[in-house]
Amino acid sequence: MYRASDRPAAPATASDLELLRQFEPVAYFTNGEPFYPTDVDHYVRDCSLWEHYPDEHEKLLVKQGELTLEKLVEPRPAAFGTVRFLRFIENLSLTEAAQVLADQARLRLKLRNYFHAGIGRLARGGFLPRLVDGLFSLSFLLRGRVSAAAAAAAELDYYEMFKEEPKYVYYGRVTRQNGWTILQYWFFFCFNNWRSGFHGVNDHESDWEMITIYLYENGGQLIPEWVAYASHDFKGDDLRRRWDDHGELQINDECHPVIYAGAGSHASYFRPGEYQAEFILPLPSWFSGLMRTWNKFWTETLGQPAGNPFRIPFVDFARGDGLRIGPGAPQSWSPVLIDESTAWVSQYRGLWGLFARDPISGENAPAGPMYNRDGTPRSSWYDPLGFAGLDKVPPPPQALELLKSNCNKVIQHQEELEQLILEKAVELQSLGIEMKGMEGNPHLAKQHAALEKMISALGAEVKGLRRERSENTALLQGLAQQRERLNAGEQDDPRAHIRHLAEPDKPTLAFRFDRAAETWAAISLSLLLFAIAGLIFLAPHYVWAGLTIIFLLFLVAESILRAAFVQTIARITLILAMIATLILFFHFWKWIIVGALLTTGAFLMFQRLRELTG
Amino acid sequence: MARRKKNNRKKRPIAVTVIAAAIVVLFLIRLYQVFEPLIRQQVFENGIAGPLFDGWRLTDLGRALLSSVTYFVLSATGIAVLIGFLRLRRWSWVLLMSWTGISLAITLVNYFYAQRLLSSQPNYAVMASNVIIAFALNMTEVQRIFGIRRDESVPSL
Repeated sequence: MYRASDRPAAPATASDLELLRQFEPVAYFTNGEPFYPTDVDHYVRDCSLWEHYPDEHEKLLVKQGELTLEKLVEPRPAAFGTVRFLRFIENLSLTEAAQVLADQARLRLKLRNYFHAGIGRLARGGFLPRLVDGLFSLSFLLRGRVSAAAAAAAELDYYEMFKEEPKYVYYGRVTRQNGWTILQYWFFFCFNNWRSGFHGVNDHESDWEMITIYLYENGGQLIPEWVAYASHDFKGDDLRRRWDDHGELQINDECHPVIYAGAGSHASYFRPGEYQAEFILPLPSWFSGLMRTWNKFWTETLGQPAGNPFRIPFVDFARGDGLRIGPGAPQSWSPVLIDESTAWVSQYRGLWGLFARDPISGENAPAGPMYNRDGTPRSSWYDPLGFAGLDKVPPPPQALELLKSNCNKVIQHQEELEQLILEKAVELQSLGIEMKGMEGNPHLAKQHAALEKMISALGAEVKGLRRERSENTALLQGLAQQRERLNAGEQDDPRAHIRHLAEPDKPTLAFRFDRAAETWAAISLSLLLFAIAGLIFLAPHYVWAGLTIIFLLFLVAESILRAAFVQTIARITLILAMIATLILFFHFWKWIIVGALLTTGAFLMFQRLRELTG
Repeated sequence: MARRKKNNRKKRPIAVTVIAAAIVVLFLIRLYQVFEPLIRQQVFENGIAGPLFDGWRLTDLGRALLSSVTYFVLSATGIAVLIGFLRLRRWSWVLLMSWTGISLAITLVNYFYAQRLLSSQPNYAVMASNVIIAFALNMTEVQRIFGIRRDESVPSL
């Protein structure tokens, strides 16, 4: 039973800041997290401003120590293809890099801020994704990347910044659309160290994260209905949870939603746990097409479970066992209001950190709350309802009115249809009688044919109208049921809108020997490379055969550790059987075709003869 | 009226019979491979008349004996598997699938390196039998009857 009185409420006359404070979230971080939401003012003062030009050269616009938010938004005309970006960490020499890495270790020791991965991501994925992961790691040699030393320097700099101004900041925005009052909470982090700190996909300077709360007005009170957390892997309806869905959305004792922030990535999750984020390698379209065909054959024809070796598993650790910020937590927020009139929000379209020249953008810093990396407007800013799939959902008080209005429209249309069907049916009968009168008169053949055509068209029209009336009746029944439910104060299933639910990994994965599986996961790729090297050196004439056998042996070893021996053996044998089938067809295609024809012929003859004699 | 005897046995799919027939064919081929090298080396007439090793290498007689023993082991395993298979035992499915996989791997290596590695022609009859067995073992109804497929998620490799 739905009761709005169960929820917190704020007066509709409350100021924007009061609204933001009333519903502000509580953020639970993971142990080992070095970066927390901070203010952009201090960050910008520690940055330099740069421009990257299409001819690949870069120019320093404002030096570190001289930059302010005011200077950041000064108009600076630039050519097409220019990328403006901030730089938090300047280039480090080898000695400086070694120094900051040592200082980072000392700082972590001092703060006792450690992270233990537990069952790491490598053991969660299979051998093939690990092989692709190795190639992905090697791709950093070719792609632009943010170095581990830069991440360490950022950690040290953020620590110093925090010591000077110890505060946790969110940037709050309040906007109103289609009867909804929308509260957006933007969090700015100096650095995303998911890759270097937590074995994730990427590192980049600066990070913007956001959550949104949707309120509706009822009796002069603003009541929360939906909460959406921005995510990399989900979009639209899948981003939001209903306030009363306590299985999915945690509300603390002070009635504030809880965010579980991913370690390093700072992605927001509704529930604590370790989330398997998958990075799908960008492949050429022809190859993806081939893979789809193969997968279809593999799953539908051979009945094997689907899999994609080009999907690399990464774990986003959102354990919530670290620092907590927000109402009811040891640390509290320092809110700052923003909107389109905030100059740094609307007038700076550049990146908030290093432009690492990464062609797939993972290592490039993000742009601000209002813009994408390419300077185009961010949909979560200009269309906060559509962003969470709420553009089609009216606020609850309006829903009943809209439903009534829809019902009335359909009822009115039904009445019109009834009248129309009656008129057309009479006309059809009249034409039918007329046609009957023409029969037996050969000189009326032409008129008979024309009338027949007319009757056929009118018959189709009447049939269509009757179908529409029938469909509308069903629609009316549905609307009436919905109206009854709303009148009784019942709400739909809170998860009915979710197609893909983000779920943390189950604590007990199918690992036979946890430690052995993890060790094997860590060393298997290197062992494979050593074995290949040995093969090339010791048996150069049998490289391909040896390679195949070694690869199969590795797969079997992996399957034993992952308790999937039987399935793996079946898959390997099937693949070998398919290769053997191709070879047999290549050598004996004539015999195979002749055999197939003879068998089919004999079968058909047997069937026909049985029909004849039976 | 005579009471019909209650039959509690699981119904055997046609694919199981096909696989059993293929195992018999393979057994006969392997049996031929047990005796063929021995006949070639005239072991039945002269006995083991000669050394099996020449230093660290096998002599022709040694190779023939090794080959014969290997195929004998395979034939014996085949018979054990056939019995378990006809009694619808899970282990026999696993053993047969593993055996088929290994056999296919050897046949394929033999095919691609026919002259260099095993100095013999690829055995297409074995290859075809293995292909039939592999596809038949993969059939959903066969996997269900042997308790292999239980429609549960399997970690990917």
